[in-house]
Amino acid sequence: MSVQNSFEVVRSSAQVWGSGSSLRSLPAVSKLVDTSTCIGCKACEVACQEWNDLQVVSTEQRGTYQTMPTLDPSFWNLIRFDEHEVDGGIKWLMRKDQCMHCADPGCLEACPAPGALVQYANGIVDVNPAQCIGCGYCATGCPFDVPRFSAKTGKMSKCTLCVDRVAVGLEPACIKSCPTGCLHFGTKEEMVALGNQRVSQLKAQGYAQAALYDPQGVGGTGVVTVLAFGDHPEWYGALPRAPRVPMAVTLWKKWLRPIGFLAIFGAIVGAFGHHLYHGNKGHLDPGPVGPDEKG
Amino acid sequence: MSKVVRQIGFDEGAYVAREKEDVLVGNEIIRHRLSSRVIHWAVADTFFACLFTGLPVWTPVFGWMGTLVGGLSVCRLVHPWFGFAFALSSLAMAVHWWSEMELTKEERGWVGPKLLEYLRDATNHDKIGKYNGGQKVYFHTSGLAALGLLVSGVVMWYPTSFPAWAREIAVLLHNISFILFAVSLVFHIYLATVAEPGTFNSMMRGTVSKAWARIHHPKWYREIMGLEK
Repeated sequence: MSVQNSFEVVRSSAQVWGSGSSLRSLPAVSKLVDTSTCIGCKACEVACQEWNDLQVVSTEQRGTYQTMPTLDPSFWNLIRFDEHEVDGGIKWLMRKDQCMHCADPGCLEACPAPGALVQYANGIVDVNPAQCIGCGYCATGCPFDVPRFSAKTGKMSKCTLCVDRVAVGLEPACIKSCPTGCLHFGTKEEMVALGNQRVSQLKAQGYAQAALYDPQGVGGTGVVTVLAFGDHPEWYGALPRAPRVPMAVTLWKKWLRPIGFLAIFGAIVGAFGHHLYHGNKGHLDPGPVGPDEKG
Repeated sequence: MSKVVRQIGFDEGAYVAREKEDVLVGNEIIRHRLSSRVIHWAVADTFFACLFTGLPVWTPVFGWMGTLVGGLSVCRLVHPWFGFAFALSSLAMAVHWWSEMELTKEERGWVGPKLLEYLRDATNHDKIGKYNGGQKVYFHTSGLAALGLLVSGVVMWYPTSFPAWAREIAVLLHNISFILFAVSLVFHIYLATVAEPGTFNSMMRGTVSKAWARIHHPKWYREIMGLEK
């Protein structure tokens, strides 16, 4: 594995001009999740908690093999578990729910705080708590419902793709802990190649609909997932079929904001021009006014 | 009214304007009594508090405004509370002025062509009472926008308590309502200050001159002077 690593920011939230800069270009990194070989052991969940020093979140027995209903500010990596009847048999479907590290991140697009969300040169999307104001716009921008607000810190939190490990040449904690080899880490290119290889194997084994989930609506993701039932991503913990940055966020940031800006300043300039042209109404004394005046 | 001594220099107009409006005092007419003015400035002040803490979150171009109050996190914290105060003041304003702001069929035209006509000085003022159609339209526009800001603002205040679709509608509604409010506010401030001298004073001291009333609101003027039944 020859992944070049860096904390160099290529894209940053809420920039007035340009979205960032990069002098070097690095290959994007990615995880590969092969759901067909996941046994649901939760080792990756524990490794994530341990490495990121996240506090223990209490769970309750809800009659499922899923640790908790959804992600939590202190729980960034959840193996979702679904049972599905396929051809008269039951399938146990696992999916790794975490930040997908989109190439075009909706969270970063929606974020109003400069530098609170950044994308590094290697494609990792990260929250900078020092800049985060806890407004929750990132959650509105995320098509995967990932960022979580922590009432304890007043900030948003999510998976960092273990950027602190990756930057020193290590693989993310979850990858390190996986006992079946269903998790891999490397350059995006390598992971897509490996994923496609696995998809071919699955097809040969009779899973004709097997596919690699790397949604192009968000420019592709930094977590690519092999799905045996690739025609039904929604079977896997409601994985969206064609995720996109919500139209509302695009409309708001790319259209309403500049239009509003121009409208308000246009009105100010218009008022100024009106005054130059028309002057004051009633600056002259209208003459004697008194009870003799007739309406 | 508390007891006062009417000695030399006593401001009879301001004194009467504490409780009464639409009356003649000496040479001036009282247009806005104290309660009207307090409500107006409550709405205005809370709006500007919202503006200065909201613009830096809206776009980083106004990030410097956030610095003035201690940064964006402070904006995020106080903006919703200012918004809450703005909503309460706006409600008070709606109740206070509602009966005077009923739009006649004719006045509905002030949304478009009649407003432009007014700006071109082509309006025949003769039938204009205490408020012209433009002022009434502005009252309803800003009230509607304030309602939009309130409803969407609540969702944006507690984003984790609402589903994604509600948050998406809320950010759009907050944007649209703000733009509507801000653009009409530019007209409002311009017309009430530099464009029409004497108007600003009606919202400060509460009074206008007879000449002002006769120029801008002749029907109202005639009513107060007892020239019209």
